[in-house]
Amino acid sequence: MAVSQSDHIRDAVAARERRSLATKFADWIRTRPEGGIAVLFVIAQVCCVAAALMWPDSFRYLSEANAAVTLKAIAPIGVMALGVGILMIAGEYDLSVGALYSFLSIVCAHWSNYLGGDIGEDGGVWWAPFAGLALVLALGALIGGFHAVITLRFVIPSFIATLGGMLLWKSATLFYHGAVALRFKPSEPFRTIFGGEFGFLHSSIIWFAVMAVVFYFLLQHHKLGNHFYAVGGNRNAAVAIGINPNRTKTIAFAIAGAMAAFSGVLAATRVGSIQPGGGLGMELQSIAACVIGGAALNGGRGSILGIVLGTALVYTIQDVLLLTRAPAYYFDGFVGVLIVIAVVLNTAIRKTRG
Amino acid sequence: MADRLSSLDNAAEKRDLVPVGPPAGVNALFEAREVTKRYGAFVALDKMNFYIGPNEVVGLLGDNGAGKSTLVKMISGINPPTSGQLYVGGKPVSFNSRADSEAAGIETIYQDIALVDQLSITRNIFMGREITDRWGFMQHQKMQDVAIDILGSAVQISGIDDPGKEVGFLSGGQKQAVAIARAVHFKRNILLLDEPTSALSVRETEHLLGYVRDLKKEGTSSVLVTHNLYHAFMVCDRFVVMSHGTKVFEAAKKDTTIEEVTDHVIRT
Repeated sequence: MAVSQSDHIRDAVAARERRSLATKFADWIRTRPEGGIAVLFVIAQVCCVAAALMWPDSFRYLSEANAAVTLKAIAPIGVMALGVGILMIAGEYDLSVGALYSFLSIVCAHWSNYLGGDIGEDGGVWWAPFAGLALVLALGALIGGFHAVITLRFVIPSFIATLGGMLLWKSATLFYHGAVALRFKPSEPFRTIFGGEFGFLHSSIIWFAVMAVVFYFLLQHHKLGNHFYAVGGNRNAAVAIGINPNRTKTIAFAIAGAMAAFSGVLAATRVGSIQPGGGLGMELQSIAACVIGGAALNGGRGSILGIVLGTALVYTIQDVLLLTRAPAYYFDGFVGVLIVIAVVLNTAIRKTRG
Repeated sequence: MADRLSSLDNAAEKRDLVPVGPPAGVNALFEAREVTKRYGAFVALDKMNFYIGPNEVVGLLGDNGAGKSTLVKMISGINPPTSGQLYVGGKPVSFNSRADSEAAGIETIYQDIALVDQLSITRNIFMGREITDRWGFMQHQKMQDVAIDILGSAVQISGIDDPGKEVGFLSGGQKQAVAIARAVHFKRNILLLDEPTSALSVRETEHLLGYVRDLKKEGTSSVLVTHNLYHAFMVCDRFVVMSHGTKVFEAAKKDTTIEEVTDHVIRT
């Protein structure tokens, strides 16, 4: 009975499959939030390259040094934004990731050094930094789970629960280690795996790419990803259909916590030392990157490509300001303007399609 | 106020006159005995008795706030009773989540639709029941093929030709049709329809009611919650009228008239 009645749908689906690549691409840009941000990103890159060609001496965007710095610097905030973005898709926030970034990288360095993982003169114990990393990834997931329990058990906004978390872990950092910098020069092969250079690629950007691919498959192809979108988009519908929203959200919180830890360790490995206040402000930057990439503030919307492009766009602004020797405080202003433009664009796109 | 009180007395009086359980010889697929649901001081269901027999369509009627949706949510598992006992196939069960009612083969079309606007039609249909490989990765092509089949059956949905379309861009009727198609696809023993026709066109409504009749022939019982007594009379075999959280009237279609049922809905 169903067969003949579904034929017109099959035909329509087949017709869409037959569209030329160019049409498919144009439709993608027109209809997907990350399509719009991709256009914005390409325009920004074209402008930067054009400016670099016109003023090669004063605007060194295309210089090798700039490319190398970009590829190093983008990974920590990007890795953090991946976790924050998944949590936002599931309908919650985490304001504590910046504080966790500092706290957990210090815990990692502390234990790695304690177990003899400092490279020193004799090369250090090879497994110590790995143990430190494993410890803080687990701790990050646990702390994320703890935020989830507070948020879901007492039915309070995650904004508040993790605002409390941010202050708590910030002071935990100072309690644990004080306000001084901590040396983190891990032994091999940890140093190469997480902080080495492979040709022009810094290993941190490779890790960012790997995590982005892993989370892409989780979000778009695994049923858990479908549950993140469902719980963030319409919690009651998810419950009515048999998805456990608390379990799903707890997993998302744990991912955000673990990614904050990973991001902190990546940055520490690159720099070689950790400032206890280094992560402050990163939570808002990573939320900004997700929002610019098309994640909705009330959940259910967002994509990995959007998060990656949002991160890249935020970093491009920072880079351009650095290259033009603009004062550092310009950065927040530009990111602020970009957030508003991106959300206005996304809303406009959503209104015109469908 | 005096009116209200006397109607409450009236309801309590009437409760003693209506049958409590299924008649002798009927093995109920599902039964709720003396179920009560309290929200703080408010009593949404008050010692309600309700059963669903094999091969029947039950019309669950009553004015707004009578407790119909509370009862439907209880049978769906998302709203456990404060007291009372549920039975499936004569065995006592407790429904504490949607998973419990799903295991009993019960599927629901909710009044408030229960779709996620941000997800595609296919992903909504398979939400929580994704077709996956053993690692939990979704098999998109399979899901799309089934979704296309589902969309063509049950309700003829006007204007949907893309299972990848986001549900947020569908009209109210189309959304309802997607919810219906989903429930119809996954149902096994019992289909609950909570105000399913409120956003459907006349033609879509006819089609849906006809489908409910067909399901009965295939052995799936249904509960139709509706305000529209004419729809109820078109498909239902038995009527249960609720008021103030309890049952005030129950009769088989052959033993009653539309006038009598209407009378009970508006008087109580």
